[in-house]
Amino acid sequence: MTRGTSSVGTGVVAASAKSEAAEVAVKGNGWTGLIPIAIGILIALVLHFALPAPQRSYNTQILQIIGIVIVLAVSLNIVNGMTGQFSIGHAGFMAVGGYTAASITYYGSMLLWGSTTKHGGFLGSGDWLFLGSCLAGGLVAAIAGYVVGLPSLRLRGDYLAIVTLGFGEIIRVVLQQTGPLIEDVEALRSVGLKQLVPPPLGGSLGFSGIPKYTNLFWVYSILTITLVVAYRLKSSSAGRSMISVREDEIAAQAMGVNIARQKVTAFVVAAFFAGVAGGLFAHSTGTVSPKDAGFQQSFDYVIMTVLGGRGSISGVTLAAIFLTVLPELLRDFEQYRLIVYALLLIIMMLVRPQGLLGIHEVWEMFNRRRRKAETSGSDVSPAEVGP
Amino acid sequence: MKSSTEGLTAKSGVIAGGAASGSDALLDVREIGISFGGLKAVQKFSLRLPRAGLYGLIGPNGAGKTTVFNLLTGVYQPDSGEIQLGAQRLGQGKPHEITAAGIARTFQNIRLFPSLSVLDNVRLAGQLHNRHGLLSTVIRSRGYRREEEQLRQRSLELLQIFELQDRADELACNLSYGHQRKLEIIRALATNPKVLLLDEPAAGLNPQEKLALAESIRQIRDRFQVAVLLIEHDMPLVMKICERITVLEYGITISEGTPADVQNDPRVIAAYLGAGLEDA
Repeated sequence: MTRGTSSVGTGVVAASAKSEAAEVAVKGNGWTGLIPIAIGILIALVLHFALPAPQRSYNTQILQIIGIVIVLAVSLNIVNGMTGQFSIGHAGFMAVGGYTAASITYYGSMLLWGSTTKHGGFLGSGDWLFLGSCLAGGLVAAIAGYVVGLPSLRLRGDYLAIVTLGFGEIIRVVLQQTGPLIEDVEALRSVGLKQLVPPPLGGSLGFSGIPKYTNLFWVYSILTITLVVAYRLKSSSAGRSMISVREDEIAAQAMGVNIARQKVTAFVVAAFFAGVAGGLFAHSTGTVSPKDAGFQQSFDYVIMTVLGGRGSISGVTLAAIFLTVLPELLRDFEQYRLIVYALLLIIMMLVRPQGLLGIHEVWEMFNRRRRKAETSGSDVSPAEVGP
Repeated sequence: MKSSTEGLTAKSGVIAGGAASGSDALLDVREIGISFGGLKAVQKFSLRLPRAGLYGLIGPNGAGKTTVFNLLTGVYQPDSGEIQLGAQRLGQGKPHEITAAGIARTFQNIRLFPSLSVLDNVRLAGQLHNRHGLLSTVIRSRGYRREEEQLRQRSLELLQIFELQDRADELACNLSYGHQRKLEIIRALATNPKVLLLDEPAAGLNPQEKLALAESIRQIRDRFQVAVLLIEHDMPLVMKICERITVLEYGITISEGTPADVQNDPRVIAAYLGAGLEDA
């Protein structure tokens, strides 16, 4: 009855219940997944053409910064909130991306068009160079994320936090040691190895004169992609694996989750978006400097994830908006900004330690309330004995 | 490659549990041991668990029972000995690889993912063999959506079998203690195991719940054709449902056999009641 070969796999398995044969109907075709992104880009387009350019309007500028900050906070939330690895070096990734993107557009425009001024109109050749440079910034940051993610396999909690803190500081110091910018096209064309070591990234003065390609269209398109990616990660098998690492590493492993891979993936994805945001940032103000990699910047994003709730994308988004607008409103009391921050955090930790939305999203809060109202009193489970 | 052979043999004959004919043990553990510093936690532990067998592992507190589980699931690497599952040697595998190979476990002190929903706890375990990666997740490809939907239905079916489907959306930490224990077993089953290791599933349950548990362990074995190894302190439960029992004391196997054999073994009685009986 038993075949000789059956020693390999058993017939475990509720073979019938779990067979792949159970075809499942899936709505929509292969393009359905792109709809939310398309809508977001459409909104970005409207914003771009309806509002005055950031260079001319203070409010637009704030709107632009808010978008960039949300990208940073939401991406950090993938590491800190979803995967539960405490990283305080996010600004380091941003700076890596920013400097990479800046050097590509700055020196690229010089070589291509002979000057560092903006080239081409909306979606012109300059815009594409800028987009490519942001993606390159993201990729380089992702590589850095991989390198920083590796220690997270062995370190946890405070120790990992110190490593990531160290990473940001190393980036900051290294950037300070870079050489002066090459500002002349002729000099650039005849550049020798000598001027490239250390790389001409502006040293401690920072990288300035970057063409200001960033506008609301690019910021909000990339923000859309970030939010969609973060949400899809969170609500998928991939995200569940990450969350399981946060919840209980031992149980996660026992359920077949490769925790090493999850941690590194989280770092790489988060660093990628931080790098892209760095590119946007560099091209919005036209400068990026070593202090942008410092831990004070990183802390701002950490505060946003803590305030918003770990793993809650909408919560972190709200916190990012709030904490970007607040300093602007408090501009007259600049010197008290940090006191207000500190008080806010202390109050928050006392009143709502899980953050604004805890682990939930805004829309889930409403659903839960409704469901609770429907089922209240109806299902009281029989008392069960605890240990 | 592995999964394809699994599919081929899935419908081929399944050996009935019970009679432990030595040659076709599903899980074959040969003399594994581990020391922590000078402490020999487990020595020369051997076990031959047949397909759909239901075996017990008992012993006084600190005897090394959970350590055996940790060795079998890759939490610890054995210093010596071999572990073989079917034709596959598991010796130095990582925990997630061993789970993928077909050994699933529950934990003595419940280790659910507290802030995931009941359904998500099951889905997490069930997604072990998913094929779609990060990119298809992010673009929500058709294949990815189909896979997720299959996973959801499979997980709900599993919850339904154990009558927990009504609580699918609740957070795991809000379940009652008894339901949490149950969910741990469901979650382990969701990984589609060949061998299920249950670490004190009856701990903290009341007598009625223990009865129900005994019944459902047997049903799980029959329905899923999974071999079960059970650690339990509740002797009536173990004696009632296990076909064979291994007794550990100080990391050493002091007795092995049918419940009746073990119950009458003077070494076992001595281990549980104290050494004085050896003289009697």
